[in-house]
Amino acid sequence: MFDTAFVGPFLPEIVLLAATLAVFLLDVLEVRRIEISGAIGVVGVAIAFVLVAADLGFSPIAGLATIPASQIDAGGPTGLYAFTSLGLVFQLIFLTAAFLVGLASVSRPSGEKGAPIFFGLLTLATLGMLLVAIASDLIFLLLAIEVVSIPTYLLVAYTRKDERSLEAAMKFYIVGALSTTLSFFGASLLFGAYGTTNLTAIAGLGSAGVPTLVLLGYAFLIAGLAFKATLVPFHAWAVDVYDGAPNDVSAFLAGGTKKIAFFAFFLVFLGPILAVKATGGAILPFGGGPYNVGPVLQIALAVLAVVTMTVGNVLALLQKEMKRMLAYSSISQAGYMLIGITVATAPALAGATLQVFAHVLMKGGAFLVVAAVAGLGVGPLISDWKGLGTRRPFLGVAFALMLLGLAGVPLTIGFWSKFVLFSSAVEAQGYFVWLAVAGLLNSALSVFYYARVLKVMFFDTPDPSASLSPPAATASLAFGGLGYGRAAAIALAAALIVGIGVYPQPVLGAIQSAAQHFVLTGP
Amino acid sequence: MLPLISLMLATLLAGTVVTFLAGRSARWVALGVSALFAVEVGLLFLAFPGWPGYSSALVPGFAESESYAWVHLSWFNVNYTVGVDGISLVLILLTAILQIATVLYSWNETKRPAAWFGLVLLTCLGCFGVFVALDILLFFLFWEAVLIPMFFIIGYWGGPNRRYAALKFFVYTHVASIVMLVGLLALVFYSGAASFDYSAVYAAGHALPAVTQAFLFLALFFGFGVKFPIVPFHTWLPDAHVEAPTGGSVLLAGLLLKLGGYGLIRWAVFVLPAGFHLDTPILFFIAFLSIAWGSILSLAQRDLKRLVAYSSINHMGIVLLAIAVGSSLGLLAAVLLMFAHGIVSGLLFMVSGSAHHTFGTRDIASVGGATPTTPALTTFAMIGSLASLGLPALISFPAEFAALLATWDRLGYWVFLPLGILVVTAAFYLWMLQRMFFGPPRGIPPDAHDVPWYEGAGMGILVAFTVLFGILPGLLVTVILASPIQSFPGT
Repeated sequence: MFDTAFVGPFLPEIVLLAATLAVFLLDVLEVRRIEISGAIGVVGVAIAFVLVAADLGFSPIAGLATIPASQIDAGGPTGLYAFTSLGLVFQLIFLTAAFLVGLASVSRPSGEKGAPIFFGLLTLATLGMLLVAIASDLIFLLLAIEVVSIPTYLLVAYTRKDERSLEAAMKFYIVGALSTTLSFFGASLLFGAYGTTNLTAIAGLGSAGVPTLVLLGYAFLIAGLAFKATLVPFHAWAVDVYDGAPNDVSAFLAGGTKKIAFFAFFLVFLGPILAVKATGGAILPFGGGPYNVGPVLQIALAVLAVVTMTVGNVLALLQKEMKRMLAYSSISQAGYMLIGITVATAPALAGATLQVFAHVLMKGGAFLVVAAVAGLGVGPLISDWKGLGTRRPFLGVAFALMLLGLAGVPLTIGFWSKFVLFSSAVEAQGYFVWLAVAGLLNSALSVFYYARVLKVMFFDTPDPSASLSPPAATASLAFGGLGYGRAAAIALAAALIVGIGVYPQPVLGAIQSAAQHFVLTGP
Repeated sequence: MLPLISLMLATLLAGTVVTFLAGRSARWVALGVSALFAVEVGLLFLAFPGWPGYSSALVPGFAESESYAWVHLSWFNVNYTVGVDGISLVLILLTAILQIATVLYSWNETKRPAAWFGLVLLTCLGCFGVFVALDILLFFLFWEAVLIPMFFIIGYWGGPNRRYAALKFFVYTHVASIVMLVGLLALVFYSGAASFDYSAVYAAGHALPAVTQAFLFLALFFGFGVKFPIVPFHTWLPDAHVEAPTGGSVLLAGLLLKLGGYGLIRWAVFVLPAGFHLDTPILFFIAFLSIAWGSILSLAQRDLKRLVAYSSINHMGIVLLAIAVGSSLGLLAAVLLMFAHGIVSGLLFMVSGSAHHTFGTRDIASVGGATPTTPALTTFAMIGSLASLGLPALISFPAEFAALLATWDRLGYWVFLPLGILVVTAAFYLWMLQRMFFGPPRGIPPDAHDVPWYEGAGMGILVAFTVLFGILPGLLVTVILASPIQSFPGT
């Protein structure tokens, strides 16, 4: 009955499912203390992290591995799912995001309603993210994305009181439904063209499909996934949703769930692009005879990347509210990540993966700081943060590190991720060099709005009327209203930003070898 | 062998951390760290084969070099590689001198002293790192690491318009750094250098075609030139200098501007000699423009600090001119001039800071005849001004003389252009001295006092080195020549 050989590899997912069910069950039994449901959620995520890390073969815990080594990076059409080391790396990144957000959220005023729902939905969405990272079939992938999406629609509105949250949730849901529809339509066209939905099989068939169906199918898939990845011009929902959602949920959306779209990009587009590289074919998309969809895809993605980073940056420059500025900066960072899949070499994939990880720490961490600062009764405008750095040095320094990382200043993880990404584009030569130039110009531009926040936080004198005394609800928490969990999560994110920034070799080495396997064996 | 350079980096790093945490006793920690660093610089001189009588012209030739793997990936290798040659050694000496002088000068800092002294040490750490780094990324890391403490020094301790000045400084120099990084990376990827190490980059750069070298050189020149600063990218400098606190101005003029000159010589001129040769006319043009524009603007200043700031543009223009000459003598003069300008402009910024403390203004026209009230300040102002205008037996003289001699060798009568401008600037400094310190007393506040001991100590150290190396410039020349300069441009 119980096939351990089948169940074993899914142990991390099972742990998360168990945590989700436990939290919801306790809710039914009216055990709603935030410490209990929070602990279940955070510990569940932590156990899953250890199991995945063991599968990747990290030496002290490699004995806990549940996936046979022969099944990782096996290559070839495998059915619905396949374990790739890059997928496992992405699982670790997703679990890091969930862990940081969960840890921070334990520090809420204990009277707050909806805590079990929050943690249950968090672990459920994380489960979906893990499934995305092992997909090797288009339908499995899109269903896994839905497993992530539906809990996040609910997460945005879980407080059920704030009108802005409800509006954001509604917007998020409608756009999400549209995006799903587009993706499934694209998948159905590809199925019509190739007769299979297995991604490896599709990559292998290459130019055998019907050209019109293939191009249309990929176009709809790009549009559907671009909504999830907040690429311009499919980004408009993101700012309102990040702005309207509760702060911790914004951290999870921007730092966590959005990242599934980039792995989905890897899975869907790497095959057709690499097939082209192998054959070196000409661009003849609508003619008969041999054609290659790859160069068309690459140019489309390159244009999306440049437009996304530029528009995101320019709009971020104009923002007066902290959350909206971070949201637009998040859009521009998505443009950098897209460079990786456009260039589609092992170094580029490694760069994009590191950029995704860096963004989890920097943007997720930044939203956690925003949540902490909002908890202190500070307003939403950037100018409301005057003097925060000198009055609350811990929050100020941590936020400064996150912004410096986003700006790509050396000795932060953000520097290495951009460096690897841009140097991989230069190394690939051809028109990719211009992608690197566009990325660098945008990085230079972005320094403006990050430095402006530093100026406000550290140099401007606060208004005498502004108080930094937390409201009564949070005043009882440790660290002047922050609480242990939130303080620990912010400190952990900041420490990783600097720690990996100083010595990136272990992380980069692991990501690089995973990316090399991925390019060789495919999804 | 003792890993002396890493030890020095560790000294400054640990010293910075301890200073930040030291609270009220931060100044003692900072002084101790600066003294220890100075001792280590002394050891470095002793360990250096060029001291004295080192003649072997190694290319690229670095003594005391240490290398460890940092990030090794399939398509690039980054190492932690550090080392010194004569050029770096002289500038490291400058770092040690200015660090100790700045700590002493700002001994009585009352606004968050722990943070202040920590940031001063951090700035010096960054500059030291730039001078010893022999790997592109390590170099870039230290280069950028200088920006952040200076951003906070200007923005938190500066004058009324400090926030604008800090932001402008950060954005200007950061954009330039990115262009510089692009240039260096393009150099690596287009030449196919095996790693980011200086020796690999050096070999690969030499192998490139001259036209490619010329384009890369221009990118690097822009990146380094903004720090110089070259006209027309100089506008961050007056704002930053005038708004910065005195200690910040000393480090800015004394060290940060030198990073531009050092970077240009080390990473552009030596690595891309053919491109440098092709681009020489552009360098000459920019150099003359900077010299002329800097001195015209300095003539128009009524504020003592602005006067010193604009004359820095002028002096760094002469450094660029000496580099552009491209001969062994010219480069020697450029390095010597950077050292001299570091000491002298530091001294003059301290003088203007002290004048501001005691007179309540830096306006040259509104104070006069200060000598009876402030004899010590007058002495320092005299020595600084005379050194700045190139009086023999003070440090600028041998440097400027060598620079003009090298220009004469290359350009002939064109040398009268910078020479004439130097004479005008000299006259202006003398006029400033006459108005502020001599003649009948005027506009002196009743509570005016002479410089306190710590400000005097800071300025005294700089005066001592101004005189020492003014009389014995040969000590520096021997060291500087223990570098690729000795045989530049080679065969």
